[in-house]
Amino acid sequence: MSTGAVTAADSDLASCHTCCKLSPASLHRCPRCGATLHLRITDSVQRTVALLITATILYIPANVYPIMVTEYLGVPEASTIMGGVVVLVKLGSIPVAAVIFIASVVVPLAKIAAMFYLTWSVARRKLEGPRRRTKLYVVAEFVGKWSMIDVFVVAILVALVQLQGLLAFYPGIAAYSFAGVVLVTMVAAENFDSRLMWDQLEEKNDSSRT
Amino acid sequence: MDNLIACHGCDLLVDVGNLEDDSRAYCPRCGHFLTRYQRDGMSRVLAYAIAAIVLLLVASSFPFLSFKQAGLESVMTLYGAPGSLARYGMPALGLIVATFIIIVPSLILLLMVMISVPLLIGRRVPWMHAATRAVFALQNWSMAEVFIIGVLVSLVKIMSLATVILGISFWAYSAFSICFILALVSLDRYQCWQLIDQLEAQA
Ligand SMILES: [Zn+2]
Ligand SMILES: [Zn+2]
Repeated sequence: MSTGAVTAADSDLASCHTCCKLSPASLHRCPRCGATLHLRITDSVQRTVALLITATILYIPANVYPIMVTEYLGVPEASTIMGGVVVLVKLGSIPVAAVIFIASVVVPLAKIAAMFYLTWSVARRKLEGPRRRTKLYVVAEFVGKWSMIDVFVVAILVALVQLQGLLAFYPGIAAYSFAGVVLVTMVAAENFDSRLMWDQLEEKNDSSRT
Repeated sequence: MDNLIACHGCDLLVDVGNLEDDSRAYCPRCGHFLTRYQRDGMSRVLAYAIAAIVLLLVASSFPFLSFKQAGLESVMTLYGAPGSLARYGMPALGLIVATFIIIVPSLILLLMVMISVPLLIGRRVPWMHAATRAVFALQNWSMAEVFIIGVLVSLVKIMSLATVILGISFWAYSAFSICFILALVSLDRYQCWQLIDQLEAQA
């Protein structure tokens, strides 16, 4: 061990992802909780990239189609995610417009970009800044669910405001695609294995010694 | 070997055997959170879980928001939010919303009680492993706190259109989401399985 760091994999131990127990890597099931044991997540990079591409594709209809339809005095008016932000700015609710813009536009795009960058860095064996990249992964994983705010807003307004003939809200098709983006990026983050970045660093250090 | 934990971020083996009460361990190499030791951790889980269950029941029983304009009034309950999506042609989305704001949190709370009570009274139960696996698989899929922010944003969006009144359920659900998060952060994966091991070693 050239780096002086001993990992579980170096000791031929697999860490159970559900109960943290260390078991010989040759076992297929965790002896304590019965979960399947893997040294690393199988095909982590391929799976993550496939899910990220799916999320990117879903992001297009999520922004092009209306997320909500407002019917005022019998006249329906459809609004997209960005349209909703513009309306809030016009109403003078800048802080709330900012919340929606960050949750619905910045967070999903930044999360997808960060995850693409991380998988690319693993696939291309970039070695610099593994600690920084691990932090980026933790942050990307944490912020993802906050993108659901807009879908919840649609659900709440549709449920609350049904004054037929006067004012009513209806859900738009983009709510589906947008919820899809959030779900798929959450699963993508779960499939990424940040330990691969540290494995590559160790392999590099080991080979430079010999 | 029982005191070692492999960092989830970088796989480094770290000794977490001698943690002081209410202290957290972080990976020295990548900075990832490893575990938090609290001597009374399981009692906290149970206390917060019971409080959260009571508050969720209250939140299910009263109006969440009501909306008044030109003599017309409409009322929304907690179940109304996912229910309305189903009513206006999006049953799958309604189910997703219900899952994140009601079903997953309820399941987690139920499982927490099923795990913490036997561990606290020192009794072996057949569902211990399955329930513990399930609770940790579900823990990232609750969005109670995100829903609260969604409610506040909705309020601002319709404030100018009419009078909106926050119902008892809104306050109960807000308090529920706080207790729920406190219960979640008190339930530590590593420490919980250590307690299960200790319980089974006694028998
Ligand atoms: Zn296990
Ligand atoms: Zn680490």
